Amino acid sequence: MRSHKKKIITASWVALFFFFTVFSHSQNAHFIKLSVRDYPDFSPVIIGSSFSLPFHIEKSSSSFQDVKTIVIDPGHGGLESGAKGKFGTLEKDITLAIGFKLKAIIERNLAFRVVLTREKDVDVSLENRAAMANNNKADLFISIHTNSSYRKKARGSETFFLGLNATDKEARRLAYLENNSAAFEERIAADNEDEIKMILWDMAQKAYLKQSSELAESVQRELNLLLRTYNRGIKQNSFRVLAGVACPAVLVEVAFISNPEEERKLLTEEFQNNVAQAIYRGLANYIKTNQE
Amino acid sequence: MDKKRLALLGVLFVLLIGLVIIFFRSGSEEKIEKSPATPPSEPESAQTELPETEKVVLFFLSEEDPFLHPEEREISVGSSIVHQAKQTMEELIKGSEIGYVSPFPSETRLRELFVTGEGVAYVDFSREIWEKHLAGSSAEISTIYSIVNSLTYNFKSIKRVFILIEGREKETLGGHINLSQSFRPQYDLIAK
Repeated sequence: MRSHKKKIITASWVALFFFFTVFSHSQNAHFIKLSVRDYPDFSPVIIGSSFSLPFHIEKSSSSFQDVKTIVIDPGHGGLESGAKGKFGTLEKDITLAIGFKLKAIIERNLAFRVVLTREKDVDVSLENRAAMANNNKADLFISIHTNSSYRKKARGSETFFLGLNATDKEARRLAYLENNSAAFEERIAADNEDEIKMILWDMAQKAYLKQSSELAESVQRELNLLLRTYNRGIKQNSFRVLAGVACPAVLVEVAFISNPEEERKLLTEEFQNNVAQAIYRGLANYIKTNQE
Repeated sequence: MDKKRLALLGVLFVLLIGLVIIFFRSGSEEKIEKSPATPPSEPESAQTELPETEKVVLFFLSEEDPFLHPEEREISVGSSIVHQAKQTMEELIKGSEIGYVSPFPSETRLRELFVTGEGVAYVDFSREIWEKHLAGSSAEISTIYSIVNSLTYNFKSIKRVFILIEGREKETLGGHINLSQSFRPQYDLIAK
């Protein structure tokens, strides 16, 4: 009888162990699932960052400068046609047409100088577009594009401003620049000059992110009101053309040229006028709000 | 007494076998759940056949919404992460098998892939990814993050992704997003 008891005790131990194993395994699986899903999200919003740097970017994070020059950038051009529509419409033609219309409206209503980054069907590099804005001492920069997607149903309008995707390496470079600004010039070897230029160039827009986000919001609001296209909101991403611009800068994606219904709209004079009118109102509201 | 003893021993034996089966089965399930980021070596493989394939998650577009959608695919277990990452990219550019939208020109080929010690994957595609690209902001963003998320989601050792075209750095795919940088994943682009 005693050995029988022993067996029962052993059996219950085994059962206990059995349940413990199963339980701990399911717990484990759950835990691992969470750890994969909870991967830290990319957070691109770094607003109001301040770097002390040995080069001249006028920071105006608190005080607003009066707008004197607006640079309009009609996207693409020349061999680089941008996106194409089903009916053969080219993005570069639409953006130029809207660019001219926007220039005319601004000049009619505001006493500001307007510069277009291109006035013909020519290639202009992304770097030169930003350089044109900086050389003209632009106070606002608007790049005009029409969108395209691999999704046939994609539709609507959105306004972008620069998003930072700073890598660890870039962060280290920034720290280096910050800590060594005094000995900066001496320490940089000649063959590093290009790289340094690139870093400085990439940072030009960083001082203006807050203002750029406000400008984007203001423009997007008017696009929604006037165009009645689907509202895709304001977004951030690392647009090459925006990175080098040393003033508040946005990139407008008006409707999808890849969507036949929206392509037809983009071709009409009326729609193009409305786009120009909406961007103008967005700009004007932004200027007004910041002057008060 | 002997009969009882035998019966008890039998019950114990069955329990033990059950335990062993459940132990190994739950173990292998857990490995799949976890993602194939861990090295493929499985020291305690008492099973006679090793699993020859492993599941990875690829991200494609859907006509229904602007988000990236996961699709599971089997890849063969290779000796290295690089080998598995290559297979993942090859599966990705083949396109969806369940009707999702592929954000790549169909002619795109993978040329090379390597991963640095710092966890940056350099993925080199053929010229078609740039030449035949739709060249819209949305199209570029979905191409880039389909690649980036598909790599970082499956391979924990890959932290960032740098996209090359024909072995070289390109400024952009179609005039918008800056390619002369490595990308971190953006999981907020994935459908919830």
